Amino acid sequence: MADAWDGPAEDGTDSALWETTAALVRAAQQGDALAMDDLLTQVTPYVTRLCRPIAPLDTADAVQESLMAVFKALRGLRDPRAFYGWVRTLTVREAVRVARRTAVERPAEPDELVRLGGLRTDGDTELSADVRDVLSRLPVHYRAVLVLRELEGLDERSAARLLGVAPGTVKSRLHRARSLFRRSWTEPTRQGERHEH
Amino acid sequence: MSTDPVARLRVMAAGLGAALYAEELIALPYEQVWAVASDLAGELPHLVPLLREFRLEPGDTERGTAVAVGPLGTRDAFEVRLSPGWCLMQSGLIVGGMAAVREGDGTRFAVLGATRPSALRPVQRMYAPLLGRRRGRAFLRTVEQRARLRAN
Repeated sequence: MADAWDGPAEDGTDSALWETTAALVRAAQQGDALAMDDLLTQVTPYVTRLCRPIAPLDTADAVQESLMAVFKALRGLRDPRAFYGWVRTLTVREAVRVARRTAVERPAEPDELVRLGGLRTDGDTELSADVRDVLSRLPVHYRAVLVLRELEGLDERSAARLLGVAPGTVKSRLHRARSLFRRSWTEPTRQGERHEH
Repeated sequence: MSTDPVARLRVMAAGLGAALYAEELIALPYEQVWAVASDLAGELPHLVPLLREFRLEPGDTERGTAVAVGPLGTRDAFEVRLSPGWCLMQSGLIVGGMAAVREGDGTRFAVLGATRPSALRPVQRMYAPLLGRRRGRAFLRTVEQRARLRAN
């Protein structure tokens, strides 16, 4: 079975999870606190997974704010089967807001960007501490684009709609990251050096 | 549970549109405070006005059932979820919750009360004295008092 954070796959392989979630959403919308409790257990790992790379220094706050936003608005969700996509929208917005509140942004160095190649880890649902560290140095919106495109696998148009920017903006941010990545790929990453600064 | 229980109860309060939600730092150790909160049969009648008895059915303590007996002998069946720092109780009419987490040398404690949306208006009026901000504060004060009594 897929982890709850993954959300159900588009190809329908997780249809049982979809149905379980949809039933919990319907019950919770009608004020069933036990269903809400179960839904909270189910969705928290997914929300955490989205928040961690976007708000690496304020993950706990971002998760809490996102869950508050999700459950406050839950009764207004018309289609319970759209739950995960809807949660993603609210969570990314909240995580960006929380990260911006405290982040002192400075541009990432090219040799840091190269290591974002590890963002999507094979079979590992946790980002490595090293990758999180690199992410924390990126501008917040840059992190959000990477999370949506690389981790969530959204297309440019969907990512742009969710972030409220033009598809071209998503494209250019991603393009820049990827070209830096390619250019630096052949060079050895100087992991030790970076930590000595 | 990946979020702390008090933060979790705050989310539940938001989701349920709870009429009663209050939290406070109690200057007593977690074990002492939670010993009161988790003793539902022994302590709830002291904490909740008009509750004469809260009778837990034998069986699973983490996911059990209970019967609440009101002042006129009215009965309400509850489903109860109880784990360290977390308690959620729900009948067809009302939801109650408590949560606690260590904070420094003390305990952050929270209480939640909500009526089920399906509950009829007269029922809501009946429960009205149990809800509201002042009632929440009073509940927290009583938990603290009961916890102090236990230490002696």
